[in-house]
Amino acid sequence: MVTLPLAGHANRAVALADALTARGHEVAWCGPEAYFRPLLGPEATVFGTGARLFRDQAGHGIAAVKSLWRQYVIPMARFTHPAVDQAVLEYRPDVLVVDQHALAGALVAERHGLPWATLVTQAMELTRPLAALPRVDAWVRGQLASLRPGSDDVVDLRFSPYLVIAFTTSALTGEQSFPGHYALVGPAVLERPGDFAWDLLDPARRKVLITVGTLATGLAADFYRRVAAAVGPLAGTVQAIIVGSPDLLPDPPGNVLVVPSVPMLALLPSLDVVVSHGGMNTVCEALAHGLPLILAPIRHDQPVVASQVAAAGAGIRVPFSRVRPDQLREALVKTLDDPSYRRAAMRIRDSFATASGAPAAADRLECLVQVAR
Amino acid sequence: MTADEMAAVLVTVTGDESLLSAGISAQTQLERDLFLDSLDLAALGALLRDRYGAAVDLAGYLAGLDIDQLIGLTVGDLADYVEQFQ
Repeated sequence: MVTLPLAGHANRAVALADALTARGHEVAWCGPEAYFRPLLGPEATVFGTGARLFRDQAGHGIAAVKSLWRQYVIPMARFTHPAVDQAVLEYRPDVLVVDQHALAGALVAERHGLPWATLVTQAMELTRPLAALPRVDAWVRGQLASLRPGSDDVVDLRFSPYLVIAFTTSALTGEQSFPGHYALVGPAVLERPGDFAWDLLDPARRKVLITVGTLATGLAADFYRRVAAAVGPLAGTVQAIIVGSPDLLPDPPGNVLVVPSVPMLALLPSLDVVVSHGGMNTVCEALAHGLPLILAPIRHDQPVVASQVAAAGAGIRVPFSRVRPDQLREALVKTLDDPSYRRAAMRIRDSFATASGAPAAADRLECLVQVAR
Repeated sequence: MTADEMAAVLVTVTGDESLLSAGISAQTQLERDLFLDSLDLAALGALLRDRYGAAVDLAGYLAGLDIDQLIGLTVGDLADYVEQFQ
Protein backbone atom coordinates (compact mmCIF):
# COMPACT_ATOMS: atom_id res chain seq x y z
CA MET A 1 0.00 0.00 0.00
CA VAL A 2 1.44 3.30 -1.07
CA THR A 3 -0.83 6.07 0.14
CA LEU A 4 -0.72 9.56 1.60
CA PRO A 5 -0.64 10.63 5.25
CA LEU A 6 -4.08 12.25 4.94
CA ALA A 7 -7.19 10.75 6.54
CA GLY A 8 -9.35 10.83 3.41
CA HIS A 9 -6.74 8.88 1.47
CA ALA A 10 -5.24 6.60 4.14
CA ASN A 11 -8.55 5.50 5.69
CA ARG A 12 -9.78 4.02 2.39
CA ALA A 13 -6.55 2.04 2.09
CA VAL A 14 -6.88 0.84 5.69
CA ALA A 15 -10.44 -0.38 5.04
CA LEU A 16 -9.20 -2.28 1.98
CA ALA A 17 -6.20 -3.68 3.86
CA ASP A 18 -8.52 -4.93 6.62
CA ALA A 19 -10.57 -6.81 4.03
CA LEU A 20 -7.40 -8.28 2.50
CA THR A 21 -5.84 -9.44 5.77
CA ALA A 22 -9.18 -10.98 6.80
CA ARG A 23 -8.80 -13.17 3.68
CA GLY A 24 -5.31 -14.23 4.68
CA HIS A 25 -3.30 -11.84 2.50
CA GLU A 26 -0.29 -9.97 3.76
CA VAL A 27 -0.20 -6.18 3.54
CA ALA A 28 2.78 -3.87 3.98
CA TRP A 29 2.68 -0.10 4.01
CA CYS A 30 4.84 2.61 2.63
CA GLY A 31 4.56 6.07 4.15
CA PRO A 32 5.73 8.23 7.02
CA GLU A 33 6.06 6.01 10.09
CA ALA A 34 4.95 8.86 12.37
CA TYR A 35 1.54 8.94 10.66
CA PHE A 36 0.97 5.28 9.83
CA ARG A 37 2.28 3.56 12.97
CA PRO A 38 -0.40 5.06 15.28
CA LEU A 39 -3.05 4.41 12.61
CA LEU A 40 -2.07 0.79 11.93
CA GLY A 41 -0.77 -0.43 15.29
CA PRO A 42 2.46 -2.11 16.41
CA GLU A 43 2.00 -5.31 14.34
CA ALA A 44 1.77 -3.64 10.93
CA THR A 45 4.66 -3.77 8.48
CA VAL A 46 5.53 -0.16 7.68
CA PHE A 47 8.37 0.87 5.40
CA GLY A 48 9.01 4.44 6.48
CA THR A 49 9.44 7.10 3.86
CA GLY A 50 10.44 9.75 6.34
CA ALA A 51 8.21 12.72 6.92
CA ARG A 52 8.49 16.09 5.33
CA LEU A 53 6.45 19.15 6.04
CA PHE A 54 4.36 20.34 3.15
CA ARG A 55 2.69 23.70 3.17
CA ASP A 56 -0.97 23.60 4.17
CA GLN A 57 -3.22 23.60 1.16
CA ALA A 58 -4.99 26.92 0.77
CA GLY A 59 -6.79 28.99 -1.82
CA HIS A 60 -9.48 27.81 -4.15
CA GLY A 61 -10.29 27.25 -7.78
CA ILE A 62 -7.59 26.72 -10.39
CA ALA A 63 -4.97 28.29 -8.12
CA ALA A 64 -5.60 25.50 -5.61
CA VAL A 65 -5.28 22.88 -8.36
CA LYS A 66 -1.92 24.37 -9.28
CA SER A 67 -0.67 24.44 -5.71
CA LEU A 68 -1.92 20.89 -5.05
CA TRP A 69 0.31 19.60 -7.84
CA ARG A 70 3.25 21.94 -7.42
CA GLN A 71 3.40 22.08 -3.61
CA TYR A 72 2.20 18.59 -2.71
CA VAL A 73 1.65 15.78 -5.22
CA ILE A 74 4.85 16.22 -7.24
CA PRO A 75 7.23 17.04 -4.34
CA MET A 76 5.72 14.16 -2.34
CA ALA A 77 6.34 11.75 -5.24
CA ARG A 78 9.98 12.89 -5.59
CA PHE A 79 10.62 12.83 -1.85
CA THR A 80 9.17 9.32 -1.24
CA HIS A 81 10.36 7.70 -4.47
CA PRO A 82 13.69 6.27 -3.15
CA ALA A 83 12.05 4.85 -0.01
CA VAL A 84 9.21 3.23 -1.98
CA ASP A 85 11.74 1.75 -4.40
CA GLN A 86 13.76 0.30 -1.51
CA ALA A 87 10.61 -1.08 0.13
CA VAL A 88 9.63 -2.91 -3.06
CA LEU A 89 13.12 -4.43 -3.37
CA GLU A 90 13.00 -5.66 0.22
CA TYR A 91 9.39 -6.77 0.50
CA ARG A 92 8.88 -8.12 -3.05
CA PRO A 93 5.11 -7.59 -3.22
CA ASP A 94 2.90 -9.37 -5.77
CA VAL A 95 1.02 -6.16 -6.41
CA LEU A 96 1.24 -2.49 -5.45
CA VAL A 97 -1.85 -0.60 -4.39
CA VAL A 98 -1.26 3.08 -5.04
CA ASP A 99 -3.35 6.08 -4.06
CA GLN A 100 -4.14 8.15 -7.15
CA HIS A 101 -2.10 11.06 -5.77
CA ALA A 102 0.75 8.96 -4.26
CA LEU A 103 2.58 8.82 -7.57
CA ALA A 104 5.85 7.35 -6.22
CA GLY A 105 4.06 3.99 -6.01
CA ALA A 106 3.06 4.16 -9.67
CA LEU A 107 6.59 5.19 -10.72
CA VAL A 108 8.18 2.31 -8.82
CA ALA A 109 5.66 -0.29 -10.01
CA GLU A 110 6.19 0.73 -13.63
CA ARG A 111 9.98 0.65 -13.22
CA HIS A 112 9.94 -2.88 -11.74
CA GLY A 113 7.27 -4.12 -14.14
CA LEU A 114 4.97 -4.98 -11.23
CA PRO A 115 1.18 -4.97 -11.54
CA TRP A 116 -0.36 -2.10 -9.65
CA ALA A 117 -3.81 -0.80 -8.80
CA THR A 118 -4.89 2.80 -8.43
CA LEU A 119 -7.05 3.75 -5.44
CA VAL A 120 -9.31 6.68 -6.31
CA THR A 121 -10.05 8.30 -2.95
CA GLN A 122 -11.13 11.75 -4.18
CA ALA A 123 -13.08 13.07 -7.16
CA MET A 124 -10.53 15.26 -8.94
CA GLU A 125 -9.50 12.89 -11.72
CA LEU A 126 -11.97 10.06 -12.34
CA THR A 127 -14.61 11.96 -14.33
CA ARG A 128 -11.98 14.24 -15.94
CA PRO A 129 -13.52 17.46 -14.66
CA LEU A 130 -10.68 19.47 -16.22
CA ALA A 131 -11.54 18.31 -19.75
CA ALA A 132 -13.35 21.62 -20.37
CA LEU A 133 -10.06 23.43 -19.75
CA PRO A 134 -7.69 21.57 -22.10
CA ARG A 135 -4.69 23.75 -21.35
CA VAL A 136 -5.03 23.13 -17.61
CA ASP A 137 -5.40 19.42 -18.33
CA ALA A 138 -2.24 19.59 -20.44
CA TRP A 139 -0.44 21.40 -17.62
CA VAL A 140 -1.31 18.57 -15.22
CA ARG A 141 -0.01 16.04 -17.76
CA GLY A 142 3.18 18.10 -17.96
CA GLN A 143 3.54 17.83 -14.20
CA LEU A 144 3.18 14.04 -14.45
CA ALA A 145 5.69 13.88 -17.29
CA SER A 146 8.21 15.85 -15.20
CA LEU A 147 8.44 12.82 -12.89
CA ARG A 148 9.75 10.68 -15.75
CA PRO A 149 12.01 12.88 -17.84
CA GLY A 150 13.01 11.28 -21.12
CA SER A 151 10.35 8.60 -20.88
CA ASP A 152 8.07 8.31 -23.88
CA ASP A 153 5.85 5.89 -21.98
CA VAL A 154 2.19 6.75 -22.30
CA VAL A 155 1.04 5.33 -18.96
CA ASP A 156 -0.91 7.99 -17.03
CA LEU A 157 0.39 7.62 -13.47
CA ARG A 158 -3.04 8.60 -12.13
CA PHE A 159 -4.74 5.60 -13.73
CA SER A 160 -3.22 2.13 -13.51
CA PRO A 161 -3.45 0.20 -16.80
CA TYR A 162 -4.20 -2.91 -14.69
CA LEU A 163 -6.90 -1.88 -12.22
CA VAL A 164 -8.50 1.36 -11.05
CA ILE A 165 -10.52 1.04 -7.85
CA ALA A 166 -12.78 4.04 -7.22
CA PHE A 167 -14.65 4.45 -3.95
CA THR A 168 -17.80 5.80 -5.56
CA THR A 169 -20.62 4.53 -7.78
CA SER A 170 -22.26 5.61 -11.02
CA ALA A 171 -25.16 6.93 -8.93
CA LEU A 172 -22.72 9.78 -8.18
CA THR A 173 -20.43 9.90 -11.20
CA GLY A 174 -23.35 9.90 -13.65
CA GLU A 175 -23.72 7.89 -16.79
CA GLN A 176 -20.13 8.39 -17.97
CA SER A 177 -18.72 5.01 -18.98
CA PHE A 178 -15.33 3.73 -17.88
CA PRO A 179 -12.94 1.09 -19.25
CA GLY A 180 -13.37 -2.50 -18.05
CA HIS A 181 -10.42 -2.33 -15.68
CA TYR A 182 -12.15 0.43 -13.70
CA ALA A 183 -14.09 -0.84 -10.66
CA LEU A 184 -16.50 1.57 -8.98
CA VAL A 185 -16.85 -0.24 -5.66
CA GLY A 186 -18.63 2.36 -3.52
CA PRO A 187 -17.20 3.88 -0.35
CA ALA A 188 -15.06 1.89 2.06
CA VAL A 189 -15.91 3.23 5.47
CA LEU A 190 -13.65 3.19 8.50
CA GLU A 191 -14.96 4.06 11.96
CA ARG A 192 -13.05 6.76 13.81
CA PRO A 193 -13.55 6.92 17.56
CA GLY A 194 -14.89 10.05 19.24
CA ASP A 195 -16.97 11.01 22.27
CA PHE A 196 -20.34 12.62 22.17
CA ALA A 197 -22.77 13.89 24.79
CA TRP A 198 -25.79 12.00 23.49
CA ASP A 199 -28.13 13.48 26.09
CA LEU A 200 -27.78 16.90 24.41
CA LEU A 201 -29.67 15.64 21.35
CA ASP A 202 -33.35 16.54 21.36
CA PRO A 203 -35.38 13.65 19.91
CA ALA A 204 -38.30 15.98 19.15
CA ARG A 205 -36.36 18.18 16.71
CA ARG A 206 -34.78 17.38 13.39
CA LYS A 207 -31.01 17.37 13.40
CA VAL A 208 -28.49 18.95 11.08
CA LEU A 209 -24.76 18.26 11.29
CA ILE A 210 -22.41 20.95 9.99
CA THR A 211 -18.77 20.15 9.31
CA VAL A 212 -16.20 21.74 7.03
CA GLY A 213 -13.32 19.42 7.87
CA THR A 214 -9.96 20.77 8.87
CA LEU A 215 -10.19 24.22 7.36
CA ALA A 216 -8.23 27.30 8.16
CA THR A 217 -10.03 28.61 11.24
CA GLY A 218 -10.76 32.05 9.80
CA LEU A 219 -12.73 30.58 6.90
CA ALA A 220 -14.57 28.11 9.10
CA ALA A 221 -15.52 30.74 11.71
CA ASP A 222 -17.11 32.99 9.12
CA PHE A 223 -19.06 30.12 7.56
CA TYR A 224 -20.19 28.80 10.94
CA ARG A 225 -21.46 32.26 11.91
CA ARG A 226 -23.63 32.30 8.80
CA VAL A 227 -24.86 28.76 9.48
CA ALA A 228 -25.73 29.69 13.07
CA ALA A 229 -27.65 32.73 11.81
CA ALA A 230 -29.45 30.44 9.36
CA VAL A 231 -30.58 27.85 11.90
CA GLY A 232 -31.28 30.18 14.84
CA PRO A 233 -34.81 31.10 13.64
CA LEU A 234 -35.60 27.39 13.09
CA ALA A 235 -35.15 26.65 16.81
CA GLY A 236 -38.64 25.20 17.16
CA THR A 237 -38.00 22.35 14.75
CA VAL A 238 -34.26 22.08 14.09
CA GLN A 239 -31.23 21.34 16.22
CA ALA A 240 -27.79 21.93 14.71
CA ILE A 241 -24.51 20.29 15.63
CA ILE A 242 -21.45 22.19 14.41
CA VAL A 243 -18.16 20.30 14.39
CA GLY A 244 -15.38 22.71 15.27
CA SER A 245 -13.52 24.36 18.08
CA PRO A 246 -16.08 26.06 20.38
CA ASP A 247 -14.06 29.32 20.26
CA LEU A 248 -14.94 29.56 16.56
CA LEU A 249 -18.49 30.39 17.56
CA PRO A 250 -18.86 32.03 20.96
CA ASP A 251 -22.50 32.50 22.07
CA PRO A 252 -24.21 30.23 19.54
CA PRO A 253 -28.03 30.26 19.36
CA GLY A 254 -29.75 27.88 21.82
CA ASN A 255 -30.42 25.24 19.16
CA VAL A 256 -26.78 25.08 18.03
CA LEU A 257 -24.27 22.76 19.69
CA VAL A 258 -20.59 23.33 18.90
CA VAL A 259 -18.41 20.27 19.54
CA PRO A 260 -14.75 19.70 18.63
CA SER A 261 -15.37 16.27 17.09
CA VAL A 262 -18.10 13.67 16.65
CA PRO A 263 -18.21 9.88 16.26
CA MET A 264 -19.54 10.29 12.74
CA LEU A 265 -20.81 6.79 12.01
CA ALA A 266 -22.53 6.49 15.37
CA LEU A 267 -24.15 9.89 15.00
CA LEU A 268 -25.34 9.65 11.38
CA PRO A 269 -28.44 7.51 12.08
CA SER A 270 -29.77 10.31 14.32
CA LEU A 271 -29.37 13.01 11.67
CA ASP A 272 -31.66 14.43 8.97
CA VAL A 273 -29.34 16.60 6.85
CA VAL A 274 -25.57 17.16 6.66
CA VAL A 275 -23.99 20.50 5.71
CA SER A 276 -20.41 20.13 4.52
CA HIS A 277 -17.62 21.54 2.35
CA GLY A 278 -17.92 18.43 0.20
CA GLY A 279 -15.05 16.19 1.28
CA MET A 280 -15.55 12.69 -0.13
CA ASN A 281 -15.47 11.05 3.33
CA THR A 282 -18.23 13.08 4.89
CA VAL A 283 -20.34 13.08 1.74
CA CYS A 284 -20.14 9.33 1.20
CA GLU A 285 -20.81 8.57 4.86
CA ALA A 286 -23.91 10.79 4.81
CA LEU A 287 -25.14 9.26 1.55
CA ALA A 288 -24.47 5.74 2.86
CA HIS A 289 -27.08 6.63 5.49
CA GLY A 290 -29.47 8.05 2.90
CA LEU A 291 -29.02 11.63 4.17
CA PRO A 292 -29.36 14.66 1.86
CA LEU A 293 -26.57 17.21 1.87
CA ILE A 294 -26.01 20.94 1.54
CA LEU A 295 -22.54 21.40 0.10
CA ALA A 296 -20.43 24.54 0.15
CA PRO A 297 -17.29 23.49 -1.73
CA ILE A 298 -14.01 25.32 -1.34
CA ARG A 299 -11.26 23.63 -3.32
CA HIS A 300 -9.82 20.58 -5.06
CA ASP A 301 -12.40 17.85 -5.63
CA GLN A 302 -15.08 19.47 -3.46
CA PRO A 303 -16.76 21.40 -6.31
CA VAL A 304 -16.83 18.16 -8.32
CA VAL A 305 -18.37 16.21 -5.44
CA ALA A 306 -20.92 18.98 -4.80
CA SER A 307 -21.97 19.05 -8.45
CA GLN A 308 -22.33 15.26 -8.52
CA VAL A 309 -24.54 15.26 -5.43
CA ALA A 310 -26.67 18.12 -6.77
CA ALA A 311 -26.99 16.45 -10.20
CA ALA A 312 -28.12 13.24 -8.49
CA GLY A 313 -30.82 15.24 -6.69
CA ALA A 314 -29.46 14.31 -3.27
CA GLY A 315 -28.50 17.79 -2.17
CA ILE A 316 -28.01 21.47 -2.87
CA ARG A 317 -24.76 23.19 -3.78
CA VAL A 318 -24.20 26.68 -2.36
CA PRO A 319 -21.25 29.06 -2.83
CA PHE A 320 -19.04 28.77 0.27
CA SER A 321 -17.69 32.28 0.28
CA ARG A 322 -20.88 34.23 -0.30
CA VAL A 323 -23.90 32.13 0.66
CA ARG A 324 -26.07 34.23 2.99
CA PRO A 325 -27.86 32.96 6.10
CA ASP A 326 -31.27 33.33 4.44
CA GLN A 327 -30.09 31.24 1.47
CA LEU A 328 -28.68 28.59 3.79
CA ARG A 329 -31.96 28.53 5.71
CA GLU A 330 -33.91 28.10 2.49
CA ALA A 331 -31.65 25.21 1.45
CA LEU A 332 -32.08 23.62 4.88
CA VAL A 333 -35.85 23.87 4.80
CA LYS A 334 -35.90 22.41 1.28
CA THR A 335 -33.70 19.42 2.08
CA LEU A 336 -35.63 18.77 5.30
CA ASP A 337 -39.15 19.15 3.85
CA ASP A 338 -38.91 18.08 0.21
CA PRO A 339 -38.77 14.27 0.24
CA SER A 340 -37.17 14.12 -3.23
CA TYR A 341 -33.74 14.88 -1.73
CA ARG A 342 -34.05 12.08 0.76
CA ARG A 343 -35.29 9.68 -1.92
CA ALA A 344 -32.33 10.52 -4.17
CA ALA A 345 -29.93 10.08 -1.25
CA MET A 346 -31.49 6.69 -0.52
CA ARG A 347 -31.02 5.64 -4.15
CA ILE A 348 -27.31 6.42 -3.76
CA ARG A 349 -27.26 4.59 -0.43
CA ASP A 350 -28.68 1.52 -2.19
CA SER A 351 -26.06 1.77 -4.95
CA PHE A 352 -23.35 1.90 -2.26
CA ALA A 353 -24.78 -1.15 -0.50
CA THR A 354 -24.88 -3.10 -3.76
CA ALA A 355 -21.32 -2.08 -4.66
CA SER A 356 -20.18 -3.28 -1.20
CA GLY A 357 -16.97 -1.20 -0.87
CA ALA A 358 -13.83 -2.84 0.51
CA PRO A 359 -14.86 -6.49 -0.16
CA ALA A 360 -15.50 -5.70 -3.83
CA ALA A 361 -12.14 -3.91 -4.02
CA ALA A 362 -10.48 -6.96 -2.44
CA ASP A 363 -12.13 -9.26 -5.01
CA ARG A 364 -10.73 -7.22 -7.88
CA LEU A 365 -7.26 -7.15 -6.35
CA GLU A 366 -7.28 -10.92 -5.87
CA CYS A 367 -8.09 -11.33 -9.58
CA LEU A 368 -5.23 -9.01 -10.48
CA VAL A 369 -2.76 -11.02 -8.36
CA GLN A 370 -3.92 -14.32 -9.86
CA VAL A 371 -3.49 -13.02 -13.39
CA ALA A 372 -0.05 -11.66 -12.51
CA ARG A 373 1.08 -15.03 -11.15
CA MET B 1 -18.15 46.89 -22.57
CA THR B 2 -16.70 48.59 -19.49
CA ALA B 3 -15.56 46.91 -16.30
CA ASP B 4 -18.52 48.53 -14.50
CA GLU B 5 -20.95 46.99 -16.96
CA MET B 6 -19.31 43.60 -16.50
CA ALA B 7 -19.52 44.06 -12.72
CA ALA B 8 -23.27 44.57 -13.07
CA VAL B 9 -23.50 41.35 -15.10
CA LEU B 10 -21.59 39.49 -12.40
CA VAL B 11 -24.02 40.74 -9.76
CA THR B 12 -26.88 39.34 -11.83
CA VAL B 13 -25.13 35.99 -12.20
CA THR B 14 -24.15 35.60 -8.56
CA GLY B 15 -27.11 37.37 -6.97
CA ASP B 16 -24.56 39.05 -4.73
CA GLU B 17 -25.10 42.83 -4.50
CA SER B 18 -22.15 43.19 -2.16
CA LEU B 19 -19.85 42.63 -5.13
CA LEU B 20 -20.58 46.20 -6.22
CA SER B 21 -19.89 47.78 -2.86
CA ALA B 22 -16.63 45.81 -2.69
CA GLY B 23 -15.44 47.99 -5.57
CA ILE B 24 -14.89 46.02 -8.76
CA SER B 25 -12.34 47.39 -11.21
CA ALA B 26 -10.91 46.07 -14.47
CA GLN B 27 -8.06 44.55 -12.43
CA THR B 28 -10.32 42.61 -10.05
CA GLN B 29 -9.57 38.91 -10.36
CA LEU B 30 -12.55 36.59 -10.83
CA GLU B 31 -11.15 33.70 -8.86
CA ARG B 32 -9.00 35.28 -6.15
CA ASP B 33 -11.09 38.39 -5.44
CA LEU B 34 -14.63 37.38 -6.37
CA PHE B 35 -14.45 33.64 -5.60
CA LEU B 36 -16.17 32.81 -8.88
CA ASP B 37 -16.17 29.09 -9.58
CA SER B 38 -16.90 26.94 -12.61
CA LEU B 39 -20.65 27.03 -11.91
CA ASP B 40 -20.65 30.83 -11.83
CA LEU B 41 -18.71 30.92 -15.08
CA ALA B 42 -21.19 28.53 -16.72
CA ALA B 43 -24.06 30.79 -15.62
CA LEU B 44 -22.14 33.82 -16.83
CA GLY B 45 -21.56 32.19 -20.22
CA ALA B 46 -25.28 31.51 -20.64
CA LEU B 47 -26.20 35.07 -19.70
CA LEU B 48 -23.61 36.65 -22.02
CA ARG B 49 -24.85 34.51 -24.91
CA ASP B 50 -28.44 35.59 -24.26
CA ARG B 51 -27.52 39.26 -24.17
CA TYR B 52 -24.82 39.56 -26.80
CA GLY B 53 -25.58 36.76 -29.24
CA ALA B 54 -24.77 33.13 -29.90
CA ALA B 55 -21.26 34.01 -31.08
CA VAL B 56 -20.25 34.79 -27.49
CA ASP B 57 -18.58 31.55 -26.45
CA LEU B 58 -17.21 32.01 -22.95
CA ALA B 59 -16.44 28.30 -22.51
CA GLY B 60 -14.46 28.37 -25.75
CA TYR B 61 -12.60 31.50 -24.63
CA LEU B 62 -11.73 29.91 -21.27
CA ALA B 63 -10.66 26.66 -22.99
CA GLY B 64 -8.04 28.69 -24.86
CA LEU B 65 -6.43 30.04 -21.69
CA ASP B 66 -3.52 28.42 -19.89
CA ILE B 67 -3.46 27.72 -16.17
CA ASP B 68 -1.90 31.05 -15.14
CA GLN B 69 -4.16 33.08 -17.43
CA LEU B 70 -7.17 31.37 -15.86
CA ILE B 71 -5.94 31.96 -12.32
CA GLY B 72 -5.31 35.64 -13.06
CA LEU B 73 -8.40 36.25 -15.22
CA THR B 74 -9.83 39.72 -14.52
CA VAL B 75 -13.12 41.54 -14.94
CA GLY B 76 -11.33 43.65 -17.57
CA ASP B 77 -10.33 40.54 -19.55
CA LEU B 78 -13.96 39.43 -19.69
CA ALA B 79 -15.17 42.92 -20.65
CA ASP B 80 -12.59 43.02 -23.47
CA TYR B 81 -13.70 39.61 -24.69
CA VAL B 82 -17.37 40.61 -24.82
CA GLU B 83 -16.51 43.99 -26.39
CA GLN B 84 -15.71 42.36 -29.75
CA PHE B 85 -19.31 41.16 -30.08
CA GLN B 86 -20.94 44.51 -29.39
